[in-house]
Amino acid sequence: MACMSTSGRVVCGSRRQQTHKFLCQLFGRQSGYAAAVSSSGSGSGSQLLPIANTQQYQLVRRFHGLSFNLGKDYLDLLQNAHSCSQNLKYSQCSKTNLRQHSSVHTQQPAGPVREIQIDPYIILDDELKYFYDDVRDLLQSGTSQPELDTIASYYFDGQGKALRPMVTMLMAKAINYHLNNESHQLVHKQRQVALFSEMVHSASLVHDDVIDQSDFRRGKPSVNALWNHKKVTMAGDYILSIASIMIARLRSDDVTIVLSQILTDLVQGEFMQLGSRETENERFAHYLTKTYRKTASLIANALKATAVIAQADDNVAEVAFQYGRNIGLAFQLVDDMLDFVSSTEQMGKPTAADLKLGLATAPVLFACEKYPELNPMVMRRFSEPGDVERAFELVHKSHGLEQTRFLAKKHCNEAIRLAQELTESPYQKGLQVVADLVINRLK
Amino acid sequence: MYRASGRIMQQLRHRMPAPEGRLAVSLAAPALKTFTLRQQQRHEQVRWTATSTVSSKQVTTPPPRHDWNRAVSEAERIVGYPTSFLSLRWLLSDEIANVALHLRKLVGSAHPLMKTAKHLLYNGKNTMQAWGLIVLLVSKAAGHAPSVPDVEQDKSAGVLHSQRALAEVTEMIRISHLVHNSVVNLQSSTEAGQDAATYDDMSFGNKIGLLTGDYLLGHSSAELANLRNQEVVELISSAVRDFSESEFIGERDEQNNPLPYKPGTFQRPSLSVAVDFNEHDVMTPMPIAQVLGNPEQEWECRNILNAGSLLGKSCQASLKLAGQSEELQRHAYRFGKHLALAWQACLDAEPFQCPTLPLDTTFSLVSAPVLFHLEHDPSLYAQLEQGKQSVDNIDYDKIHKAVLAGPALAKTKELQRKHTAAALAVLQHFPATDARQALENIILAMQDL
Repeated sequence: MACMSTSGRVVCGSRRQQTHKFLCQLFGRQSGYAAAVSSSGSGSGSQLLPIANTQQYQLVRRFHGLSFNLGKDYLDLLQNAHSCSQNLKYSQCSKTNLRQHSSVHTQQPAGPVREIQIDPYIILDDELKYFYDDVRDLLQSGTSQPELDTIASYYFDGQGKALRPMVTMLMAKAINYHLNNESHQLVHKQRQVALFSEMVHSASLVHDDVIDQSDFRRGKPSVNALWNHKKVTMAGDYILSIASIMIARLRSDDVTIVLSQILTDLVQGEFMQLGSRETENERFAHYLTKTYRKTASLIANALKATAVIAQADDNVAEVAFQYGRNIGLAFQLVDDMLDFVSSTEQMGKPTAADLKLGLATAPVLFACEKYPELNPMVMRRFSEPGDVERAFELVHKSHGLEQTRFLAKKHCNEAIRLAQELTESPYQKGLQVVADLVINRLK
Repeated sequence: MYRASGRIMQQLRHRMPAPEGRLAVSLAAPALKTFTLRQQQRHEQVRWTATSTVSSKQVTTPPPRHDWNRAVSEAERIVGYPTSFLSLRWLLSDEIANVALHLRKLVGSAHPLMKTAKHLLYNGKNTMQAWGLIVLLVSKAAGHAPSVPDVEQDKSAGVLHSQRALAEVTEMIRISHLVHNSVVNLQSSTEAGQDAATYDDMSFGNKIGLLTGDYLLGHSSAELANLRNQEVVELISSAVRDFSESEFIGERDEQNNPLPYKPGTFQRPSLSVAVDFNEHDVMTPMPIAQVLGNPEQEWECRNILNAGSLLGKSCQASLKLAGQSEELQRHAYRFGKHLALAWQACLDAEPFQCPTLPLDTTFSLVSAPVLFHLEHDPSLYAQLEQGKQSVDNIDYDKIHKAVLAGPALAKTKELQRKHTAAALAVLQHFPATDARQALENIILAMQDL
C-alpha cells in the first residue's frame, strides 16, 4: 500500500482548513495520461470546480494499479452525488469530530483545480498500508512449515486490487461515523474482518486454480503451476483455518455466524457453476444466484459484520449488507463483461476464459435473446470445436455487453442510493466513489 | 452391575502397563461379555439370539477376544444415535446429491477419490468412522455443568445438542481432509499430468474432490459458528490447520506421499518429554522440528497433526461446551490424542501381521514399523530412496520382509500398548459411567484387532 503517491492531493475545502485536512484526489487530464493538476487550498479551496465541458475529455485515471475509464456514467454521478455544497456540509459535520488523516500529501503541482474526488485508497491509507504485511505475518505465525507459508502467502503480494478490504474498511468507518462511535479498538476489530474477507477470497482463488488448471493469475504463474496440487489444496484450507481462528478471537458469536455464511455461499456458488438450467428465464436467475453466492455474499456479509461489530441496529446492518450485495453483483457483472473486451495483458489472465471453462455469463445469456443458436452451445458448455469462437463473435454482434453493463450500472446506482442513507463523511462518499470505480474499471 | 464391571476394569487398568496386562484383559473378557449380554437381554430382547451365538462361539474359542463391532454398536446405543454421521442430513443436500451424480462419471477411472469414497462408505473394522461417537461418549462420560439449561440437553442420550453438533462437525472435518487428500497432483512435471487419456478424468475428479471437501469445510464452519462459543471455534479451526500442516512434513514424492528422512539427517538428543501443542495459544503450530529424526517422537508428532489433533481437540471442545473445568478439558484432549495414536499404531502394524504382504497392499513409508526399522538398520533407506519420484516404484515385498525380520513390529505393538494404556489411564479422571465403560470396551477391542 505504500505506492499510493500517484496523485493524492490535499485540498482544504473551507475556512476550517487549519483544523481539518481533507484528503482527496484531484485529477482531470486531457487525452490520457497528462499530469494531475491541482492547486493548494489555502484560502481558495472552496472554489472546487466541477468538471466543465467534460464530454470531450477521455478521462483516464491510474488509480492504485487500477485503470478507470471515466465515461458518461461517471459524469452523471459527479453531478448528482458530488456537488460542492455537499463538501461544505461535510466540513461542518466534521467539526464535532476532529478527524486527522495521518498521511498528508503535501506535494503541490501547479495548475487549476479541475475536479475533486475522494480516493478511497488514500483516505484508508492507515488501515491499508500494512494490510498485506499483516496477512503474511498472520499466515507465518500459524505454521512451522516454510513451504506451506510460501504457498499460502503467494497471492498476498500486494499486487491485487484489495477491493474487498477497501470496501470493508470504508463501510466500517462510514458506519462508525454514522453512529458517532469511533475508537481504535473498534476499527482494529473491523480491520480483522477486512483481513478475513481478503483471506477467504485468496483461499478461494487458490482452490479455483487447482480446479480450473489455469496457468496465470494477476500476471504471474498461478499457484497450481508452481506447486504440488495436493499441497496447494491444503494451503487453501490452511488460509481458511487461520482466518477462522482470527475471527474467533474477536469473541463475537454474531460476527462469526455472519462470516461463516460466506463460506457456505462460496461453495454453493461453485456447485451451481457445475450445472446449468434448461429454460432461459431459469438460467438467468441461476446465473444471478450463483453470482451472488460466489462474489457478492463475501462483500455483503463482510460489510454486515463490520456493522455488527459496531453494534449498529438492524437497519444499518441491512444497508451495509445490501450495499455490499449490489457492489458485489456489479463487480462480477463487469468482470464477466471484461472477459470479452479486455486483452490478456490488462487482465493478467487469458480472455474469454469463462467461455473456455464452459461458463455462460451475463453477456452470453443476453446474447441468447438475439441469437437463439447460442442456446445449444450454452447447454453443451461450448464444448464443440468452434463454439468458443462463435459465441465470442455473437456476443460482440449482439447487445449483450451493453445490457450487462446496464445491469451492473443499476446495481451501482442502488449501492450509491444505499450509501446515501448513512451520515455524510469522507467514507460515506468513498462508498459512492467505489460504485463508480467498479463500473468504470478496465481490469 | 455397572459398578461390578467397573471394578474389574479398574483392576485391569492397574495391570495394564505390565507385560501381563494383555493376559489380564483376555481373562476378564468373558466376565465383561456376560455383563454386556445381560444388559442387552434386558434392553433389547430381539437382539439377544444373535449376540449370544457370536459370544458363545467366542467364549469356547480360546483366547477370547474383544469384538470391535460389538463394542461400537454398544457404544452407539449409549449415546442414542444408531450410526455414523455419514447418513445425516448433509448427505441429503442438493450439493452432495450432485456430487454423487458426478462421481458416477468417475467410476472405473483410477482417481483416488473413488477409493476414498469406498473407504468412507465401507463400514468395516478398518475404518474408524467412530470419531463422532468417541466425542459423544467422552461428552457423556464427563457430564455437564449444572448451569446448562434444560432445553440444551438431549436427556435421553445424556449429551447436549451442541455436543452432538460438534461430533458431526468432527466427522465432517475429518472426511473433508480425506477427500482433499485424494486430489491428484496434475502438474505438468509429473507422470499423472502426461497421459492425455486419463488427464480429463483426473482433472474432473480433482474438481469434485476439491468442491466436496470445501463443502464439508464450509458447512462445518457454519455449524461451529452456530454453537456460539468462540473458544470452540478457535480450537477446532486450529485442528483444520493441523491437518493441512501435516501434509507438508518431511520429504514427499510427486503425489505428496511422505518419505522418511535420510537416516542421520538430524543429530538431536531424544527429548525426555513428549512434544505437544502450546496449551495457551492455539495459533502456535506443533514444534515438530525438535523431534525429527527420533522415530517414535517424530511418528507421534506426524500423527498428532494427522489425527490426534482433531480427535483430542474435539473432545476438549465438547467439554468446553458443557462448561467443564479446564483440567477435565485437558484430560479429554489427552484421551482423544492417545486414542487416535493407539489407533494409528494399530493400523500401521496391520500390513505386517501376516508373514507375506497381501497382493496389491502397500503401506506408508512413514508408518511406525518402517521408521523403527530404519533406526535399527539405516541401510533400508537405499530401498526407500527409489520412491523419491513415486512411492509406487518401491519394492514393498522386500521392505515388508526386512521389517518382519527386525524388531520394528514388536516396537510398534509396544507403541500401541503405550498409547492404549495412556488413554485408559486418562479415563480414570472421568466418573465411572456406562459411557466410560463403552470407551474402555472400544479401546480394549482395538487392542485385539
